[in-house]
Amino acid sequence: MNQSSQEKFVYYDDDIVKKFLWAVVVWGAVAMLAGILAALQLAWWPANMGLEWITFGRLRPLHTNAAIFAFAGNTIFAGIYHSSQRLLRARMFNDGLSKIHFWGWQLIIVLAALTLPFGFTTGKEYAELEWPIDISIAVIWVVFAVNLFGTIAKRKERHLYVAIWFYIATVITVAVLHIVNSLAIPVAFLKSYPIWAGIQDGLIQWWYGHNAVAFFLTTPFLGLMYYYVPKIVNRPVYSYRLSIIHFWALVFLYIWAGPHHLLYTALPDWAQTLGMIFSLMLWAPSWGGMINGLLTLRGVWHLLRTEPTVKFLVAAVTFYGMSTFEGPLMSIKAVNSLAHYTDWVVGHAHAGALGWNGFMAFGMLYYLVPKLWNTKLYSVKMANTHFWLGLSGVLLYYVSMLAAGITQGLMWRAIDSQGHLVYPDFVETVRAIQPLFWVRLLSGLLYYVGFIMMIRNLIATVKGAPATAPAEKVTEPVTAGHDLSNEKGHRKLEGLATVFTVLALIAILVGSIIEIYPLINISKYVEPAKMPQPLTALELAGRDVYIKEGCYVCHSQMIRKMSSDVLRYGPASTIGESMYDRPFQWGSKRSGPDLARVGGKYPNLWHYRHMVDPRSTTQGSLMPPYAWLGTNDADFMSLRKKLSAMKALGVPYTDDMVANADGAAQADAKKIAEDLAANGAPAGLEKTELVALIAYLQSLGKKGGQ
Amino acid sequence: MKQEAFQQYTDQDLTILGLFIFVTFFVGLLFWVYRRTQAPHYKYMSQIPLEGEQKS
Repeated sequence: MNQSSQEKFVYYDDDIVKKFLWAVVVWGAVAMLAGILAALQLAWWPANMGLEWITFGRLRPLHTNAAIFAFAGNTIFAGIYHSSQRLLRARMFNDGLSKIHFWGWQLIIVLAALTLPFGFTTGKEYAELEWPIDISIAVIWVVFAVNLFGTIAKRKERHLYVAIWFYIATVITVAVLHIVNSLAIPVAFLKSYPIWAGIQDGLIQWWYGHNAVAFFLTTPFLGLMYYYVPKIVNRPVYSYRLSIIHFWALVFLYIWAGPHHLLYTALPDWAQTLGMIFSLMLWAPSWGGMINGLLTLRGVWHLLRTEPTVKFLVAAVTFYGMSTFEGPLMSIKAVNSLAHYTDWVVGHAHAGALGWNGFMAFGMLYYLVPKLWNTKLYSVKMANTHFWLGLSGVLLYYVSMLAAGITQGLMWRAIDSQGHLVYPDFVETVRAIQPLFWVRLLSGLLYYVGFIMMIRNLIATVKGAPATAPAEKVTEPVTAGHDLSNEKGHRKLEGLATVFTVLALIAILVGSIIEIYPLINISKYVEPAKMPQPLTALELAGRDVYIKEGCYVCHSQMIRKMSSDVLRYGPASTIGESMYDRPFQWGSKRSGPDLARVGGKYPNLWHYRHMVDPRSTTQGSLMPPYAWLGTNDADFMSLRKKLSAMKALGVPYTDDMVANADGAAQADAKKIAEDLAANGAPAGLEKTELVALIAYLQSLGKKGGQ
Repeated sequence: MKQEAFQQYTDQDLTILGLFIFVTFFVGLLFWVYRRTQAPHYKYMSQIPLEGEQKS
């Protein structure tokens, strides 16, 4: 079979890899630009420009979605399509599916960019896209899965290299997470309510949210690490055994860690402790993986001096180690009580995103573009400059946000000898860290300048490439690999992709089910006598405005069981209070104060003035003005449908309340508008979104359930 | 402390089941992966990314 006269060749599909590479560059530029504008808005509120579409609450989801799903997503796909073909010694299963995957994914990104600025959002972090887009994501993900598993099925290399395992785990886990977290009942073309409520929604959202980090930003990138680091330095991975432990430990442990986003909240203690302990256990496999990546360079560390690609990869793996050290640290309850809701978390996320994901992407781009276009990198010097600019950017970002987070966290919890808060005004704690927001902006600009230099470098590289690059191929059939029938044990397991996939699926389902199942029956956590009143129709309309504007991006609705939180905001939030909340709005960041008990704290007029011009009521506030709320009409007509959907989901609305929802809302709105007018606000506000929002804000903490 | 953490927990069997699955899985995995007889196989596996392609 292997005589040269009979040789056949397998040609790899590198066109699809090139397409994904350009998508990385384009969306990276968009995502980071959105990030820079968001950073400027936090440092200097007029940068919101009074434009509702790019005001911080709507821009921040656009930035995170673009960074995660567009920039990192296309990086993953480029790397998987390139490395899988080579590791499996087979062309991708179907070129048509590859193209559908590529264009479908780009279409989803464009749809995200078209809906989020207009306020079409589910209000669930990192899962903000509305249901038609969610369905498209699921469909395209299945296309990707079929294409990858099809390639695995027709592979010419018997054994599945560990990178392929990481890809398989990514494909199945992201599918499970996305589908379970996105289950919702549509009430309009671009509006839906999740089937999960309150504490369940919180747990499932952060089970999803943390595992989006784990299985979208970690496992696929680790697969890339296990392929590109050995490939580029031409050394086998330091310990293949360690990579197997790394894989199974991550897949098994990560899925449990979600509740560390909900420490000291109303989430039951057992779930918090579980999340913390599994997060701590992640120290071991994460550092095992980092060491495995770095020690692959044993004997060739000198490449670090000359090869920009190696610089980026080594820095990326180092950031992986730093972020996975810091993550478990921040999950320790005592540390978390300081870090949670502050910019420390933002710094941590960016050390991961810019340092680990970004640098992995850049290292891969500097390696792949010259290789695929059969040429040399246009300028090594420019790539080195990019590296140092990027590194300074990440470090400055991290240090500034760490300082901001710890400063603000300490100010929030400072209590004097009389037992009073030392900084009772929230805005004082914002003003104290405002200069650091400018430092963060500078760090973003450094990173961005480096990124632009890379684009220029890559374009020049491609321009200087020979017109026709030869296609890469391997001889078929490959002699390497063994006949499976002679294998036993783990070797056979590696050969059996289906069995392997099922085992990986079981590993992630064990944690998911054991953690989520006890909370499915919420009634055991809330006594019937302590059930809250559901929101009135007008309040629900206001809640949808709150979600639409992304208020949850800066305001939590969760008073933690901590003395400083209780002193500042009132009694700790309970499970009952948010049991009808779809989606839950506990939040993850306090750029402004918690709102769980803001109802009744200020008169209606205060809220009116505060929304139109936040600085008229709060000197030094960084909140953007929301003047358009006072002119946009609220959507009362859809309320019957919304209440009916809520009723179907178990919220105790009577048939009467559903049937008269719009009428009741208009009547309530009129009362608030009259009160506003009587106190000096303009007359005729009863139809506006602002009145609905005020009704909602005044209801917070007033519905019972304690 | 333990009582506090579990005061709202009603599915005690799940904790035992979770612990059992967890310990069995990792102990088994360690033995499995570090069997000495597997050395040549792992050497083969770690070479997979390094094999070059031809161009035409």
